[in-house]
Amino acid sequence: MKRLLPSAFGLLLLLSACHRIESKDTAAEGNGTTTPRPSSTDNGSTLRMFMWSDYIDPEMVKLFEQREGVRVVIDTFESNESMLAKLQGGGASYDLATPSNYVLQTMVRAKLLQPLEKTSLKNFGNISPGFLNPNFDPGNTYSVPYQFAATGLAYNDSRYKPAEESWKLIFGPEDRVKFALLDDPREVIGAALKYLGYSVNSGKVEELRAARDLLRQTVKKRGFESFSGGPEIRNKLLAGSIDLGQIYVGDLLQGAAENEHLHVFLPNEGTTISTDTLVVLRGSPNPALARKFIDFVLEPKVSAAISNYTYYGNPNARAQPLLDPFLKSQKAFNPTPEEFSSGRVEFINELPRGNTPRLYDRIWTELKSR
Amino acid sequence: MMRRTHPALSAWAALTYAFLYLPILVLIIFSFNDSKFGATWQGFTTRWYGVLFARADVREAVLHTLEVALLSTAISTVVGTLVGFGLWRGGFRGRTGLTFLLVTPIVIPDVVMGVMLLMFYAIVRGWLEKTGWTFENGFWTVVLAHVTFQISYVALTVRSRLAGYGRELEEAAADLGATPVQSFLRVILPLAMPGVLGGALLAFTLSLDDFVVTYFTSGSGFKTLPVLIYTAVKKGVTPDINALSTLLVLFTVLLIVISALLMRPRNAGEQK
Repeated sequence: MKRLLPSAFGLLLLLSACHRIESKDTAAEGNGTTTPRPSSTDNGSTLRMFMWSDYIDPEMVKLFEQREGVRVVIDTFESNESMLAKLQGGGASYDLATPSNYVLQTMVRAKLLQPLEKTSLKNFGNISPGFLNPNFDPGNTYSVPYQFAATGLAYNDSRYKPAEESWKLIFGPEDRVKFALLDDPREVIGAALKYLGYSVNSGKVEELRAARDLLRQTVKKRGFESFSGGPEIRNKLLAGSIDLGQIYVGDLLQGAAENEHLHVFLPNEGTTISTDTLVVLRGSPNPALARKFIDFVLEPKVSAAISNYTYYGNPNARAQPLLDPFLKSQKAFNPTPEEFSSGRVEFINELPRGNTPRLYDRIWTELKSR
Repeated sequence: MMRRTHPALSAWAALTYAFLYLPILVLIIFSFNDSKFGATWQGFTTRWYGVLFARADVREAVLHTLEVALLSTAISTVVGTLVGFGLWRGGFRGRTGLTFLLVTPIVIPDVVMGVMLLMFYAIVRGWLEKTGWTFENGFWTVVLAHVTFQISYVALTVRSRLAGYGRELEEAAADLGATPVQSFLRVILPLAMPGVLGGALLAFTLSLDDFVVTYFTSGSGFKTLPVLIYTAVKKGVTPDINALSTLLVLFTVLLIVISALLMRPRNAGEQK
């Protein structure tokens, strides 16, 4: 057995070498376009990204490929947690990733990221002030904002017209409205905290207790339909099975572009926001190209094109005039700088370590298992 | 004469089938829905299938999926058949232990298997790097991972196929002058064939559908269909993904039907 193992791995290597050659051939055959396609083994000219599915305009990827004469490979993940697991396990060498802000500190601690070298980013100055120097990444050492998602309340005006733009519709005494909440502890507890006038990242036991009591009442209401994902809530609004839904603005706007009856607003008491960031990974085979791509995304035209494709919030100040008129007409799409500075929209941050995460967990478990 | 089935039992069976198949039916119907979000029925269209076939990443993923499934099935069928044969033949110590070890990859949660293999590859890479060699996760690590769980299915199918036959078959073959290799190739293997093919098809469909293990072991730049579909779902299912899933379901069902047909006839004939 001991003698068998090395030869088995030798065979494996030989086979994998054959496969490389094979895939090079198919790459050359399968590509009739003008894009230059250097071999996949040549790391100097391949950019590998790990990001959310359907999260970048394919035209912009093509543009970058043509401009730099490189090939861009995009792999997708479906949650921050599974992305972390795969990166920590090794064996996958990506240059770039798009983690959400609340896992950024975890990634820094796990030594998965390398500093950005901001001096090499000539478009760094385009970033909107509300996203500069965020508390999850002081001084933007590791990240630039890619796209963001504010959380709002949405309704279908052919069935229901809200009297005011407030969380009261959900947390108040009124019990006729049918509503759904996001299936996400930080969003749901965060909304309750905001309604009560506290921070979405609160670690104070009394504040969390108040939020818990409020949420206990809320899920007991007759109008409470379910905890669901964003796209699901959009579909429920379209189908008319709920009147009101907590939702990521981007998810709703994709539907609103096709159905004029869908609307979304950011409640007066304030709401949560989360950013997806662009980071260069420590194991990146090609960090220089990764930085070039980040600089490319920070170009106003490119940044606007990506938002016009995804309908997610745009953190690039100079891209704002280039956004789709439909997006610009939506008040909930881009919170104003004042809304940021006043704390009306608040980033969801990683919770302080210690007892706090357990408190959030306990509230959430109780709500879900009612 | 056939005994009458109680109506309540038939109703129960019908409900069970409805529970199993209605979601799949909904998926298939909505792949023909003329709406980008598919919440309500907007009319019949086949355009999502057009959108689907125009996508280069889908074509690439289909190719990867088939390559992995075919190769891993070939390897696991050969190895699994020999293991199944050995288990049936017995004559060595620790047969029960070995059977238990074969069941383990079947009952172990996929996530555990995926993470386990990811760590295993990392350790092997660490060893290799000391000798100046290295490899990246990709096609071959996925194939090897699939073989790991496929072998169990093939071996157990082959063993249960042979279970009804006694060792006398081999002895009779030997009496008639067959070498051990000849008796395996000419007597045992033909008898085991339905089990071998059934196991192979089972292994093939398992490889085709696997998401978790593939996600963890695929490294960068290597996607299969289930990975493409699953990661797309989080940002909202687009109807072309429904179309893709429909095709995948139909293909898998076809394979399972073939596998069932291959496993059936002889057993049914003998047990009368």
